[in-house]
Amino acid sequence: MSQQPRITLGGRALVFEPGETLLDVATRNGVEIPTLCHDPRLKPVGACRTCLVEIEGWQRLAPACATQAQAGMVVASENERIDRHRKSLLALYMTDHPQEEEPAKSGTPNQLLAMVTEFEAASDWGRLSQKRAGRPGDRNPYIHYDADSCILCARCTRYCDEIEGVSAIALAGRGSETTISTADELSLLDTTCEICGGCIDVCPTGAMAEKMPLVQEARPDLQLETVRTTCNYCGVGCQIDLNVDRAGEDGHGRIVKVTSPEPGTTTNDGNLCVKGRFAYEFVHHGDRLTTPLVRGKDGELHDASWEDALRIAADGLMGVRERHGADGLGFVSSSRCTGEENYLVQKVARAVFGTNNVHQCAAT
Amino acid sequence: MTDERDAKHALPRALQQAGGMREGVPRRVAEEIGVPEAHAHGVGTFFHMLARPEARLRVCTGLSCRMAGGDRVLKAAQEAGMPVEGVSCLAGCDVAPAVLRERRVLPDVRAQDVEEAKGDWQALMSRGGLSEESWCGHVWPERPDAEGLALDLHGAIDLDGTALRRAEEIGPERVIAAIEESGLQGRGGAGFPAHIKWKGVRSQAETRRYVVLNADEGEPGTFKDRELLVRRPDRVIEGLVIAARAVGAEAIWLYLRGEFEVPWRVLEETLEAFRGAGLLDGLEFHLHAGQGAYICGEETALLEALEGKRGMPRHKPPFPTEVGLWGKPTLIHNVETIACVPGIVMRGGAWFRGLGREEPGSKLYCVSGHVARPGTYELPLGVTLDELVEKAGGYVGELFAFSPGGASSGFLPASERGRPLDFKSLSEAGTMLGSAGVVVLNDSYPLREAVLDQLRFFEAESCGQCAPCRIGTYFLRDALERRLSAEANQTDALRNVSEASWQMNEGSICGLGQAAPLPLTSALKHFPEEFGGPEAAS
Repeated sequence: MSQQPRITLGGRALVFEPGETLLDVATRNGVEIPTLCHDPRLKPVGACRTCLVEIEGWQRLAPACATQAQAGMVVASENERIDRHRKSLLALYMTDHPQEEEPAKSGTPNQLLAMVTEFEAASDWGRLSQKRAGRPGDRNPYIHYDADSCILCARCTRYCDEIEGVSAIALAGRGSETTISTADELSLLDTTCEICGGCIDVCPTGAMAEKMPLVQEARPDLQLETVRTTCNYCGVGCQIDLNVDRAGEDGHGRIVKVTSPEPGTTTNDGNLCVKGRFAYEFVHHGDRLTTPLVRGKDGELHDASWEDALRIAADGLMGVRERHGADGLGFVSSSRCTGEENYLVQKVARAVFGTNNVHQCAAT
Repeated sequence: MTDERDAKHALPRALQQAGGMREGVPRRVAEEIGVPEAHAHGVGTFFHMLARPEARLRVCTGLSCRMAGGDRVLKAAQEAGMPVEGVSCLAGCDVAPAVLRERRVLPDVRAQDVEEAKGDWQALMSRGGLSEESWCGHVWPERPDAEGLALDLHGAIDLDGTALRRAEEIGPERVIAAIEESGLQGRGGAGFPAHIKWKGVRSQAETRRYVVLNADEGEPGTFKDRELLVRRPDRVIEGLVIAARAVGAEAIWLYLRGEFEVPWRVLEETLEAFRGAGLLDGLEFHLHAGQGAYICGEETALLEALEGKRGMPRHKPPFPTEVGLWGKPTLIHNVETIACVPGIVMRGGAWFRGLGREEPGSKLYCVSGHVARPGTYELPLGVTLDELVEKAGGYVGELFAFSPGGASSGFLPASERGRPLDFKSLSEAGTMLGSAGVVVLNDSYPLREAVLDQLRFFEAESCGQCAPCRIGTYFLRDALERRLSAEANQTDALRNVSEASWQMNEGSICGLGQAAPLPLTSALKHFPEEFGGPEAAS
């Protein structure tokens, strides 16, 4: 058997699997290489240029994210040339980027600014007037595009293409006017966009941000607590992270944002849908039911205990069966139920009441 | 796997036929072609002839055209209320200032012509001396001289396929051996040995292969391919056929500048004649019109555009010889390179090699700017500027500076007038032969203005994909403009310019961003006094 192929990275001999990129090998071995446009779920484009490394015998620096490892490659990810590259690249980025962190428009950290600090890059090369068009008139309720903060890494458009298969947004224009746009600069509501919010999730600078009024309360100084839970909008079982402001709601805690766990860690692999990501206002809504209600003889709804409510419902159902037979009943369950819950509904219908009249609203 | 059977590649043409990027067009075309709406928008806004359909006249703002008063033509047209815009380059530096009317380049347009048209943009065509007939630029030698010339622009068009028959006789192995012996280097700018590409494609396991012609000539200072396509379409087509048969390709794609309406017609007629003579059997030819983007002259950007996408360069490696058009092995050559092939097949590699001085072959030099007879000159590769300009009727005024190979080559001082204009010698001088688009400047046009023209060009033509080029081209142009502005407080405007230039060269994905700082950095090196002394850029 032949020996597994290796590269040398920073002086260490590291084995790799065919097809792995230099970044894959580095990451697996704990070697940090900065990236902005990289997302392991997307085809690499090497556009942000932060991950350039030096390969022996290559005249030009190469993007670690888009260069496949080849046996015998000798790679440096830290040296004087690379350091100068990172510093000057980031300094150039900063001439085209807001210097100050915007007051948590997105509620997410700006990876570019963090990188400028980490690599001690200059941010005093002046500020160019920004030429990218945004979409200020877009009336969609959830997603805001702040063209000023955009670095054109195209994670959002590639996510929209490659993961969601929706292709609602694309790179548009050319040169310094390149921007992210919809067809004819329409509102997202008038495109194929499903408002999944994945563009917000993958954006490294907060250029794609949440519009919701709730998030305006997320201040940068605010420590948010993350609560992992299962989305209950449907039975898929997506894991979601509730971002909770502990001090909100008079100390009861308030959800200010929902994010997806890291790709690769849960079944939803970093993805969410419009409901899971944005439809969380109901949690704190004043009209939300907090106790069972039973309609009284006066025609009004009254608070009841679970015991009473279930008993009254059971009596009603049994009464129908007595008067009209089992097939006088029909059961419809909600698409928000899990597979197990749907199983139980049909069990109740068939085994307890004796009817096959059972349906689930997502079954067709 | 998509290929030419996939309709997506027709997207740019469909957008053109639908009248360009007006409201509703990208959505309608997207539905017809079967691509996402946003992609149609992204493609349509990338190419300027699609993005701005309201412009019917386009005035060249390239260096040679500005030197010849292109800005006055543009201003006159704007003042006359014509549907006009300025564009980067129209490959008409020899007939400067050049104006594009619809998709046809008009030579030598003066502000007076525009004024006489009295606001009627269509009237520009019918002014004195111009008709519907195509025009040609000045070429040298003025008579056929096949013995010493690989291309022989004045030679008679040969539709007999003599070189094709010869190639068939000797077979692919010997054709490639002849190319190798000839030492032919890519004439598009990089100077890469042609035979390595041919062997590379031929040795691939994949049998679906392509030959692609890069006729997207757009480097300011360069117009040789335009002449070659119109005067010797036979050489171009013969070269493509020989190449396709040698590397085992059945499909040939021609990417022509959208502005090359006349060359397109000439090529189609010539193809028809060859086809009629049964010389193209077993080969498919596809003509693709560019829609206005200099970057598509970069070979991988061109492949993207051929596939119907935004013309954004790919990473190399892998090179197109392995992974090219639709992921298949692809031989891609500039017009001039491919047109050298029939001569090599007919007369042998040694003959071609002997045509040059230090490097092989004769070469088409474009010369424009302050010379008596701007035009296309076929000379031994490696002539000096003085020799070239002598053929072009001499200098106008006193030589001050020159650009040896298009905008990407920057500027050299008059003291370099004796340097051989070839790949190696110019590379040693920190510049390049590039496309051999030589622009000559005397002291009547300020060099700093010439530098600014080139920086504007690169800013307008950056594809925007990678940050060093997208931001860097903007940063350099902005810095120089501030330095040249009358405001006294801008003396430190060139601070960080050298570091930004270093970054663009190191960090950019493709040659555009890597070369874009050269006009400024070369001028700062050779002409520091033009910018307020050597300390200005420190």
